[in-house]
Amino acid sequence: MGIHLTGIVILVGNYGSGKTEVAINLAVMSKKAGTDVRVADLDLVNPYFRTRESKGVLADMGIEVVLPPDEYMHADLPILTPAIAGMIRQPASLTLLDAGGDDVGATVLAALANVLDLKEVQMLQVINPFRPNTDTIEGCLRIRDEIETASKRKITGIVGNANLINETTSDIIYQGHDFVNQAAYASGLDLEFITVPADFIEQIDMTYFSCPILPVARQLVPPWIEPKSFVNSTQQPGS
Amino acid sequence: MGKILMKGNEAIGEAAIRAGCLNYFAYPITPQSEVAEYLARRMPEVNGVFLQGESEVAVGYMIFGASACGERVFTTSSSPGVSLMSEAISYIAGAQCPAVFVNIIRGGPGLGGILPSQADYFQATKGGGHGDYRLLVMAPASVQEAVEMVMKAFPLAEKYRNPVMILGDGLIGQMMEPVEFPEDLRTEPSNKDEWATNGMSTRGDDKQNLVKSLYLDPTALNDHNLLLKSKYDQMKKEEVLYEPVNMDTDYKALIVSYGTMSRVCKSAVAMLKEEGIEVGMIRPQTLFPFPEKAIADAAEKSSCKIILSIEMSMGQMVEDVERCVKGKLPVSWYGKCGGDVPSPEEIMDVVKERI
Repeated sequence: MGIHLTGIVILVGNYGSGKTEVAINLAVMSKKAGTDVRVADLDLVNPYFRTRESKGVLADMGIEVVLPPDEYMHADLPILTPAIAGMIRQPASLTLLDAGGDDVGATVLAALANVLDLKEVQMLQVINPFRPNTDTIEGCLRIRDEIETASKRKITGIVGNANLINETTSDIIYQGHDFVNQAAYASGLDLEFITVPADFIEQIDMTYFSCPILPVARQLVPPWIEPKSFVNSTQQPGS
Repeated sequence: MGKILMKGNEAIGEAAIRAGCLNYFAYPITPQSEVAEYLARRMPEVNGVFLQGESEVAVGYMIFGASACGERVFTTSSSPGVSLMSEAISYIAGAQCPAVFVNIIRGGPGLGGILPSQADYFQATKGGGHGDYRLLVMAPASVQEAVEMVMKAFPLAEKYRNPVMILGDGLIGQMMEPVEFPEDLRTEPSNKDEWATNGMSTRGDDKQNLVKSLYLDPTALNDHNLLLKSKYDQMKKEEVLYEPVNMDTDYKALIVSYGTMSRVCKSAVAMLKEEGIEVGMIRPQTLFPFPEKAIADAAEKSSCKIILSIEMSMGQMVEDVERCVKGKLPVSWYGKCGGDVPSPEEIMDVVKERI
């Protein structure tokens, strides 16, 4: 029961749902499994903690991150590089588009509609039930509706990303799985996969879950914390 | 309610509501715009008001007006926005009105940049606006502490009838951490009937309350300034907050650092300890009043050879640290102020080099 995503995959969700951590870790896992991966940072609404901060780590692994030119990297105003449209026209085996948070962050996708409409595209909603606004099924459905309206595009699957960062426990992972399972059911969509922090993989009962697992080594950390190593997160559990 | 994961800016917005503040006026600016975004959604759910002003100058006076009428009110902004509000802040302090200002600092001067910085230390602690006034300034080092400080800020503002400022660097606003909210203060009564222009009929008394900062008579203005000074002296006696780290050792150096910079320093202190190098740290939680006595006492330690003020500003806090140390030990500065936050390893190297 592994994660076998290919083609163009867009990650959307409310602010802080963990789209970027999912994108980075999914890119690394897919790359290690031999898939050619490219990631685009489409976050035009968040000033810190974006995919661009992991550019070096990803580049070292041979994963291309498509970003605005260096001189605009910390601009106040949103920059959408024309290279994005190019990478959608000629996608890698797996092309990950990491959109910004909420409906405002997903608005950029509507601007790319002319290129995205020519391709088969999956759009996954990342849900962390321990965040405000997605702590109820109604909240998840409302966010979905707002994102679909803003992006002019339908969400095709759900990703569970239950965590409290450094205070995550096994219970949070189990409870989170049950919650996103219900959210997926209420949405009428598949639960594509859930995340589990890489250091929990050994201690958690994998048979509990009804979907594939993405081990996550946290990358977007404040300066007093070291990013986690990907070493233990490359093996898909059960695969 | 259990813990939830919140961005500092969201948590600050929620904390204000839980402190009973249902009036939020603001003008968006990176890196604090998420407060407005959060409260635009949240305020209507609690019958509160979020109103975007036409500029920060307007917002400053909207705060003054609402506060003068006895409403709990707050705003959030970032450096250049706070500069624009500074005139109103001086009027609010002069007129003795309570209000809470949150500054999620960006790099400066001028437009600077949007990355983390602590370059508004002087602005917050030494004025910003004109006249003999002070702000009570608190600097959180975590999202949880930001929640607690915001919730504490409203009762303190009312106790002293003076603006309180929460000074956070961009990381405090942008990072996500698990938080829980202390007991809800929404039903706590305010002392507004004693001073606010909320209408004699509302209060059921015949005392006219007058809110003003104009005192043309020289004796009256001097008396007014003496009264303000007595409040600031009382803050120095009663409101000092700081966190000591590794202070029960024979530390060779003392670090003074606040906000998220102090978390980097705390990591460095722990890593140096593993190498057998003891370093003490004092983290001011209030910047005004400054933990003068704690730093003065720490400088008396015979094992301590040097004091380091480590900040994301160009040595602004050094002046306050030197004031406390009174020349007994050398006070040295280290910091960065462009947006890159120094790493724990960098701080370790600085300490090793200077002890």
